[in-house]
Amino acid sequence: MDQTNPESPALASVPPGGRGEPDLDRLLRRVARGDQPAFEAVYGQLCRPAYGVILRVLRDPAQSEEVAQEVLLEVWRTASRFDPAQGSAATWVLTIAHRRAIDRVRSAAAATEREQKTADFPISRDEVAEAVEASLDRERVQRCLGGLTDIQRESVTLAYYGGYTYRQVAALLGVTLAAIKTRIRDGLIRMRDCLGVS
Amino acid sequence: MALFTHDLHVLTGAYALDALEDSAEVERFARHLRRCQSCAAEVRGLREVATSLAYAAAAEPPPGLRERVLLLASQTRQLPPELNRHARQRWSLGGWLSRIPWLIWMPRLAAVTAAVAVTAAVVLAVTLSSTDQQLNTQRTQSAAIAGVLAAPDARTVSGTVKTGGTTTVVLSAIRHEVVVSTSGLVPLPAGRVYELWLITPAAAANRAGLLPGAVSGRTAPVLASGYAAGDVLGMTVEPAGGTAQPTTPVILELKLATGA
Repeated sequence: MDQTNPESPALASVPPGGRGEPDLDRLLRRVARGDQPAFEAVYGQLCRPAYGVILRVLRDPAQSEEVAQEVLLEVWRTASRFDPAQGSAATWVLTIAHRRAIDRVRSAAAATEREQKTADFPISRDEVAEAVEASLDRERVQRCLGGLTDIQRESVTLAYYGGYTYRQVAALLGVTLAAIKTRIRDGLIRMRDCLGVS
Repeated sequence: MALFTHDLHVLTGAYALDALEDSAEVERFARHLRRCQSCAAEVRGLREVATSLAYAAAAEPPPGLRERVLLLASQTRQLPPELNRHARQRWSLGGWLSRIPWLIWMPRLAAVTAAVAVTAAVVLAVTLSSTDQQLNTQRTQSAAIAGVLAAPDARTVSGTVKTGGTTTVVLSAIRHEVVVSTSGLVPLPAGRVYELWLITPAAAANRAGLLPGAVSGRTAPVLASGYAAGDVLGMTVEPAGGTAQPTTPVILELKLATGA
């Protein structure tokens, strides 16, 4: 059905630079036992990407700070539920962060309905590039994003950074639902291979 | 059937980016994942890509966040490990995330139950507030309030308001600050507020702030500075905006215990 190898273990075990700390998983297990210094270390390693992704989705610094606080406390509170078999510790934490931000967007959207449907695009390629600091990690992600087709890249960034559902992304880009699902998946698979190789 | 399965399978990308339409779709896809090993493996890989995207967006959080998170963590009980390994919904949007009611988050101060209510109200106030300005003010306030709650000499006093309701005060003599919250106060007509006073042993009444409107019968905590040993917390009903001196009978006179 598809030619890509779904197992692709490389990426999961070799996270992009900047989070090569092999002990994050171990730290999180210590956090589950109530170890506060371990929690401080986890905070130190993950607060920037967690806050950053929340800020990217929500745009509003005050709300983002509030959500980041909730997320980091949730990490403390639910650390015992982290299961390394499901993914890395960083992914566990940053998935919570992204979902919390998305939850906030969708509940706000439900409240204010569709007034701003045609309001400004939440993210553009230039902006992704522009906001980037000269870190290896970012450069590599940017380079891999640059390797996608325009529509793959826009699909992925609108969905992840923009916090849009795939239907909304399809509407924004004027393509069919079937096409958008495929673009997002193909784009991510190409990213995965790109990130995993380097 | 093959078409259907394929259709679900291509949702791995959207699922990994939390871009499915609603919880029903998430549930449906999560069920599919439990039956489809290769899909689950693919999702794991794609989630790591999403993690890279998060790292690429990294930004410096505001300076106060770290202290607040660490403080609240120190007051928050953790979940026990899950002994049933078949709790399979952990990674679904409708699973562990959305099922966690925010109330469980409320920090617990051992033995100081009332302080828990105060802290809960702080978090509630921050959660419920809508504008940035409110948020900023409340954030500054919550940091100060957290400071009182965490003070080594923090103690809790509570008392009944003559017209109905309860007032709870957490005070710190070291910090010369008190945090006041209430529950069950009688709602006031428009144009009237509950005003707080710190009344000295010499019977001088110093303004100590106005209670905000109640949410679910509780008022968000108010921080008052300038507390000195021997002060009594007073409360009166005053015109909106408050007055410089009490103009109506005192409906609460709460002796504040002297701090250590």
